[in-house]
Amino acid sequence: MINNNSVKFIMAGRRKRRRRWILVTGLLAGLAFILCWTMLLLGNTIYPVNEVIRVLLGEELNGVSFAVNTIRLPRMLTGLLAGFAFGIAGNTFQTMLRNPLASPDVIGITAGSSAAAVFCILILHTSGAVVSIASVIAGLATVLLIYIFSRGRTFSIGRLILVGIGIQAMLNALISYLLLVGAQQDIPAALRWLSGSLNGSQMHELPPLSVTVLIFAPIIIMLGKHLSMLELGEQMATSLGINTDKTRILLIVSAVTMIALATATTGPIAFVAFLSGPIAKRLVGVGLSNAIPAGLVGVNLVLAGDLIGQFAFDVRYPVGIITGILGAPYLLFLLIRMNRKGDL
Amino acid sequence: MKATHVFEAENTVAGYDNEMIIQGVSLVIPSNKISVIIGANACGKSTLLKTMARLIKPASGNVTLDGRPIGKIPSKQLARVLGLLPQSPIVPEGISVADLVGRGRFPHQSLLRGWTQKDYEAVAEAMDLMDITALANQSIDELSGGQRQRVWIAMALAQQTDILFLDEPTTFLDITYQIEILDLLTDLNRKHGTTIVMVLHDINLSARYADYIFALQKGRLLAEGDPSKVITSPLVKDIFGLECTVIKDPVSGSPSVVPIGRYHVNHEISP
Repeated sequence: MINNNSVKFIMAGRRKRRRRWILVTGLLAGLAFILCWTMLLLGNTIYPVNEVIRVLLGEELNGVSFAVNTIRLPRMLTGLLAGFAFGIAGNTFQTMLRNPLASPDVIGITAGSSAAAVFCILILHTSGAVVSIASVIAGLATVLLIYIFSRGRTFSIGRLILVGIGIQAMLNALISYLLLVGAQQDIPAALRWLSGSLNGSQMHELPPLSVTVLIFAPIIIMLGKHLSMLELGEQMATSLGINTDKTRILLIVSAVTMIALATATTGPIAFVAFLSGPIAKRLVGVGLSNAIPAGLVGVNLVLAGDLIGQFAFDVRYPVGIITGILGAPYLLFLLIRMNRKGDL
Repeated sequence: MKATHVFEAENTVAGYDNEMIIQGVSLVIPSNKISVIIGANACGKSTLLKTMARLIKPASGNVTLDGRPIGKIPSKQLARVLGLLPQSPIVPEGISVADLVGRGRFPHQSLLRGWTQKDYEAVAEAMDLMDITALANQSIDELSGGQRQRVWIAMALAQQTDILFLDEPTTFLDITYQIEILDLLTDLNRKHGTTIVMVLHDINLSARYADYIFALQKGRLLAEGDPSKVITSPLVKDIFGLECTVIKDPVSGSPSVVPIGRYHVNHEISP
């Protein structure tokens, strides 16, 4: 007893929503592409497109080669990868916990990774792989800590967020302390840990972050449907055939690893993880997977923020300052709205 | 017609942490029938339903579907046979009705593929049955409580399971919508042979709509069977601790409970 008109009607609506998703995602990718090129072209000297292309293809051009290959390209690629990682990981947490405040940079996971990285660099004087591994472990440990502290008789997301904000404050205090103790030798590196920056990005720092994004972003994208089932609550997800514990652990490990590696590379770029998911959702609509659009919004926020920070003012600001200025009012707005609704 | 299954609980003990709420229940769900679980508040109705739907792992005893313990059946495979509509499912903000109903198709879908023709047909059939097709592209936030409940049931129907569990599907609804939902579920049972097991608060509606009743008291099965056998004044006294007279429902002929409280009792009519 299938009514073909009903099928057609439902199909038409669903196709319309899909078309919007494809269009918006395409536009976001296009904008990211333009911003990437702008990053390569703009600098102390503006080089023409054809020269930049020739350099990228391996030609040696005096001055251009150094500026593009050593400074601008690593800076752009770092921003691209970190933005995607922050955006997609933030959206994963927000969707899984059904709350835009439950973003890794609000509930202290990013701060956990930062603290570990700062400790490794300033106190243990290590770098590279050790920093990456330590920040992943610290990120996961922070998740565990938040979970343990917020576990009551019943699970409450409001409590989890408040505990997370507390842990975030504590970890930030720890970071400040570490910077005070060890900053003298290395002030530029220290500044990066106060607010994320793409300054001094180098090609040889890229492989760990690239590999991480290439492994874990596809996992999260493939689990898009699973994530949307988790959004319906534990009971509904289970009765729809989701192994909720396994799925959650896989998603958390993937998201935290990306956040940690991105943080270890650029420092905590404020609020990118927090802003990307909600912005993407506004743009593409609800109902289809938000992972890719959120990642692309993250890329655009980081690249646009960095360009603004570099060129819009007399003084050069790191990207984290710009995204921080964008994110803080939104955080306040959300807190006020949720307080009114009684969600907190 | 939906397939026939042997779905049973065997001496099942279950609960939360250290508090066992279900204390040794054995039952067989009548296949292709409507069963209703009744009992006083906190007697374990929901817990029993959740345990049988694998949402709670039994501390001891077994829940088996066609002889296999449900914990051993792959979750997605089980989700194609057994569906559950929880008491208060969570609505993703702003989602359209059709997309939400479509999420019921998850156990039939593969990892990356979009909706197939079959998915669309299942969603359309479920929405037609619940009479919500016209609302397909609206946001669920705009709907009334009765409409929302029909959307959730449509989602469970899109799952196309042989067995459907519902935890208080009529709570918070006006009487008109309660009857409407129960009629729709009866349609589903009569037309498709879907085995329905639900928890209902209203004992008279339970008696009218159930083919079979399970009466729980403090985590134990006190009585089971045809409503006319289970809903008697001594049993109601045992289950709910309520004095009552049971009369014949003038509309359906099923038993109907008329409670006796401390006031408004006319001794010329009732002893």
